[in-house]
Amino acid sequence: MHRFPRIERLPPYVFATINELKHKARQAGEDIIDLGMGNPDLPTPPHIVEKMIEVSSNPKNHRYSVSRGIVRLREAICKWYQRRYDIDLDLDTEAIVTIGAKEGIAHLLLATLERGDVVLVPTPTYPIHSYASIIAGADVHLVPFTEGQDFFESLVVATERILPRPKMVVLSFPHNPTTQTVDLEFFKKVIDFAKRYNLLVVHDFAYADIVFDGYQAPSFLQVPGAKEVGVELFSLSKSYNMPGWRLGFVVGNREMIYALARIKSYFDYGIFQPLQIAGILALNGPQECVSEIVETYRVRRDVLIQGLARAGWVVPSPKATMFVWAKIPEKFQPMGSIEFTKFLLQSAKVAVSPGIGFGEAGNLYVRFALVENEHRIRQATRGIREALDLVQPQARRRAREQQA
Amino acid sequence: MESTSIFSERVQKIQPSATLAVDARARELKARGVDLISFGAGEPDFDTPDNIKQAAIEAIHQGFTKYADVSGTQDLKEAILAKFQRDYGISYQPQEIIVSCGAKHSLYNIFQVLLDKGDEVLLPAPYWSSYADMILLTGARVKVIRTKAKEGFRLHGDGLKKAIGTRTKMLILNSPSNPTGACLPKEDLQEIGKIVQEKGIWVVTDDIYEKLIYDRFEWRSIASVAPEIRDHCLVVNGVSKAYAMTGWRIGFTAGPAEVIGQMSKLQSQSTSNPNSIAMKAAVEALNGPQESVEKMRQEFEKRRNFVVDRLSAIPHIQCFRPQGAFYVFPDVSKWYGREYQGKKIENSSSFAEFLIDAVQVAVVPGVAFGEDHSIRLSYAASMENIQKGLTRLHDALLALR
Repeated sequence: MHRFPRIERLPPYVFATINELKHKARQAGEDIIDLGMGNPDLPTPPHIVEKMIEVSSNPKNHRYSVSRGIVRLREAICKWYQRRYDIDLDLDTEAIVTIGAKEGIAHLLLATLERGDVVLVPTPTYPIHSYASIIAGADVHLVPFTEGQDFFESLVVATERILPRPKMVVLSFPHNPTTQTVDLEFFKKVIDFAKRYNLLVVHDFAYADIVFDGYQAPSFLQVPGAKEVGVELFSLSKSYNMPGWRLGFVVGNREMIYALARIKSYFDYGIFQPLQIAGILALNGPQECVSEIVETYRVRRDVLIQGLARAGWVVPSPKATMFVWAKIPEKFQPMGSIEFTKFLLQSAKVAVSPGIGFGEAGNLYVRFALVENEHRIRQATRGIREALDLVQPQARRRAREQQA
Repeated sequence: MESTSIFSERVQKIQPSATLAVDARARELKARGVDLISFGAGEPDFDTPDNIKQAAIEAIHQGFTKYADVSGTQDLKEAILAKFQRDYGISYQPQEIIVSCGAKHSLYNIFQVLLDKGDEVLLPAPYWSSYADMILLTGARVKVIRTKAKEGFRLHGDGLKKAIGTRTKMLILNSPSNPTGACLPKEDLQEIGKIVQEKGIWVVTDDIYEKLIYDRFEWRSIASVAPEIRDHCLVVNGVSKAYAMTGWRIGFTAGPAEVIGQMSKLQSQSTSNPNSIAMKAAVEALNGPQESVEKMRQEFEKRRNFVVDRLSAIPHIQCFRPQGAFYVFPDVSKWYGREYQGKKIENSSSFAEFLIDAVQVAVVPGVAFGEDHSIRLSYAASMENIQKGLTRLHDALLALR
């Protein structure tokens, strides 16, 4: 028997058990409202789809593309940063196209880390933010990112306790799953800190556009000197409803982008060119579609938050992302997030993600993804209201029990 | 980002020994005729007892000056086995013992045979800096667990549990401790033993200051009070501190035979046997009369009492009263922020520099032990010098006000 040490370090996927139960319920003919996976449900804006259809019949676009992305797509992302944040990027050395942000981060870390390196990652976290390091052979040091704790302070303490010092920190704001946001001042502190300890910074900016109530999410690269210490990842999945297209970018630090380009030049021939061309249109074309997408999520968010409140489950309204991170009602907390998720699936016919799937620190929470329409979300909250039974008077409940 | 140095990545990861650096500076100033008082010494200021010296002289006369057994002579191993039986209540087998060139070498060999890149070692702070550097040499990394003076530098089970990660392979214990002199109570060691047993973590316990215990503290090694961890516990001890034999370089390790075997292999390819003459002397040290140990211990206890009381009389200095070794590790951070001759005292290094510049007193900055709020003073010096030195220190601080 041969050993495969790299995959031995990857634990079984926590969400798999929930997915299995969901499939079983559906097979049994049950109508499950799926707010589990963060898989956007709305179609890609038609002008982007049409462009892809148009150019895909051109045989020129059927050949191998370039692994770092075609020039005009890299130019489009640089312009996007220029327009939005007044950041100058060199399209040859400071920008690269990736097969979604996930591939970007996975290969970036494979290119820059080795065995024995330590990476700081907040917990709870989007799983690939920690497992990209594990796959690269490095080790993750989880930094608690929970209410009532100054995350930046925890980051400094963690760094000072490890010898040799950690090599990298992986951040993502607006944050999945906690929906936490930061201001530019936070990134300033992170960059000073990164310079002091010679740390590399990777910032996943997947939810850059999905912001509400006037909040603007800062780009990590807005801080002068950011490019000296790190990179930012952006993806078209959320902003343009293009999750299945796999179009992402890494921009910023030249050495890191060079490392990623180098490793990608061995791994892939780039994304199917018609997708890249459509991506150019997404970034350069009309942006009303983005505001429409954001507005859709906002409405869904409000419906969910209000519906949960009616069910006696009060959850703060997130300023950003397509998620709601909800602390499990006290009465149900002893169940833990997996059992509570199963309970919601069985009793309320609603699928959510158990918080523990994002790390131990998430076990008192579940995550709702706003990926069903508002009617369905309303239906979900009604189901939850009945299942939780938090708002019913004791007497009535007792009477009902006696009847039963 | 590629390294351009001609030197190995390995050696570039480590720092020169901070305590030895202070020693070197003190020696240099003294050689230039400066009236310097040093609290930097990491060794007893007593002479090696005569019976031990005599044993070495006889070894030379008898021609015991050739290669010997790589892992230590049989008579020395027997003396060590008897010592563990006597002092620890543990019966080891000869194949569970290896003699090395000083306890530092024992530790070095342990780390080399057990640690690899990616492994993590838990190190309670304040710690003797050589642990960290020797661990880094293997490619493994150190995770520091802070302990506090106001809690007697005890290692709490909760703190230990929290620090254990998926890559944690080893825990270092050093009781009595360099630099704090703190001793871990039996109950704490039992709790630590339970936790490491459950998690399957190796324990390396450096018991080199074992014989220097005060206030009739009931010192125990974790090896004695948590026998369940025997198959993943390595005990390091030696003759340096107990018999004032630092220059002779004899240390030893007791532990599972497989680990000892690997250490012996490493030793066979690096140093071969420890010095044959010193091994004969060590036999005499362990088997011969022990009165000199007690005499030295009593003298150290007197000095400790004086040093702790004297330091505590200085404003803004907090000094924990340790029950072992010959160090104190007072917190001097309340003096940070003051200036001396236009230079700000902002950390333990600048505090130590200030003491040398202002009153020619040498101490080791706490940052060398992972704790920047304190300085280490060794009282392995004559009472006269200790008194003079602490008066100077007091005066220097008063002049700052």
